[in-house]
Amino acid sequence: MMISIFLRRALTDIRQYLPTQMMTTMVVSLSLLILTFFCLFSVNLQHFVERFGNELGIVVFLKQGLPQERIPLLYQRIAGLDGVETVKYVSPEEAFKRLRSYLKDEQEVLEGVDPRFLPPSFEIQINRAVFNLTRIKQVAGVIEQWPEVSKVQYGQEWIDRLEALSRIVEKAVVIGGLLLMLTAAFVVANTIKLTVYARQEELEILRLVGATNSFIQGPFLIEAFLQGLAGSAVALSIVFGTYVYLERMLGLSALFKNFELSFLPWQYVVAIISSSVILCVMGTALAMRRFLRL
Amino acid sequence: MREGDTPAIRLKGVSKRFGPGNLALVDIDLEIAKGEFVFLTGPSGSGKSTLLRLLFCAERPTTGEVSVDEMNIDTLSGAQIPLLRRKVGVIFQDFKLLYNYTVFENVALALEVIGLRPDQVKKRVKQVVEGVGLGTKLNRKAIQLSGGEQQRVAIARAVVNRPPIILADEPTGNLDRKRTGEVMMLMEELNARGATILFATHDERLYQNTHRRVLRLKNGKLESAK
Ligand SMILES: Nc1ncnc2c1ncn2[C@@H]1O[C@H](COP(=O)(O)OP(=O)(O)OP(=O)(O)O)[C@@H](O)[C@H]1O
Ligand SMILES: [Mg+2]
Repeated sequence: MMISIFLRRALTDIRQYLPTQMMTTMVVSLSLLILTFFCLFSVNLQHFVERFGNELGIVVFLKQGLPQERIPLLYQRIAGLDGVETVKYVSPEEAFKRLRSYLKDEQEVLEGVDPRFLPPSFEIQINRAVFNLTRIKQVAGVIEQWPEVSKVQYGQEWIDRLEALSRIVEKAVVIGGLLLMLTAAFVVANTIKLTVYARQEELEILRLVGATNSFIQGPFLIEAFLQGLAGSAVALSIVFGTYVYLERMLGLSALFKNFELSFLPWQYVVAIISSSVILCVMGTALAMRRFLRL
Repeated sequence: MREGDTPAIRLKGVSKRFGPGNLALVDIDLEIAKGEFVFLTGPSGSGKSTLLRLLFCAERPTTGEVSVDEMNIDTLSGAQIPLLRRKVGVIFQDFKLLYNYTVFENVALALEVIGLRPDQVKKRVKQVVEGVGLGTKLNRKAIQLSGGEQQRVAIARAVVNRPPIILADEPTGNLDRKRTGEVMMLMEELNARGATILFATHDERLYQNTHRRVLRLKNGKLESAK
């Protein structure tokens, strides 16, 4: 009963104050737009750092002259390590073949060389799901201790650099995200406050003709809810459109062929929509409070 | 006033002070019986509006007791104020209309706040708006009306929910002789149906030849009762 009156009044209000309502919705959209783009950027940056690190595998060189029957045993031990996804054995012959194809025109330097002069090795890829930079170090550290192993290579410098970078990115994301959230909340709350203040005479009149606080607040809160919803939907749509466009551009360019973009995870989407709605509704309720006394 | 009947409006030792040296009402004692029609007069600034505003709790008295329809204003909680205001129809001196809303929406407001069904609202609003001679302008926005028309919308809104008490603050201030006569007739009719009416005006012609009680305010003091 009351709800239907609220809805009807909210609709009348929206029609009545369409320019103001659009303005508020736009402010919500724009404030969220910056935040949403930032989220998209940081999510992809983090993915990029991770994926890049994942390309780096671990190479384990074995000591020369190791008995052949030890190889499957070592293979088993490595495959059994936590976080290891794939292990590939590279025999000295295989390594020699790779070297030859690498040298191409200058193969003659290998003439007369024993094809078994290169040490056998294992190439390890870490599981994507559990991948992180410290994991690679750990696995490498464990294997290095084994007596059969002569050397472990895992792009030490790269890992260190990536680790430092991802630490900085993480901090920047947290600080930047918080600042943007505060800005958005501040701008939205103040815009709402102004629109409520602009209608303060209406609030006063409603009170004078015997409206209860909930009767007065109901339509305003419905309007705020819709503004929060519409504002965040518009912001997310724009960001999604941009994402689709960028992805197409990347697909066309040869340089970035392997550079995959990803959209915001659904948790982000839900969080952005709900915080937008909560912000609008809370802002309205707070702004109205001072007009609902006496 | 009949013996033992509680008055519709009662003020006892009421003063209202707006800041130091600004005494709007001084020690008012007043009782208005249920069903009475009382005029309230006095020069501009004598405190007529202030007195009315105390009765629907737009102001609180500085000292003294105010009770309206057996509700004690002093002990009224914030949640109870809407209930008081539904019993008291107020015609404001400055109309207090929602100027962006239509005549219909303005008048309907007083019924929507009490949760009346939409079809009922429609019927009652039409009837009352026709009664004040604005039947053809139901869907006009209030801002597009003349001052006198706006005043009649304010009257329609005040009476549409048939309140037992009507407080009229200069309700004919913007009306010509004919419209004034119509409004007085409407008030008489509502009074005849049992409404208690307190009618503030400084138009002497309205109460010159009346048998009704006339209260006179001067500098916030109640001077005489006819
Ligand atoms: N909110 C307020 N703040 C300060 N002073 C006020 C306030 N309201 C009224 N007053 C003062 O109280 C006195 C009485 O004002 P009120 O409006 O009751 O007069 P009135 O009799 O209704 O006059 P009018 O016939 O012009 O409508 C005036 O001196 C006015 O300045
Ligand atoms: Mg006045």
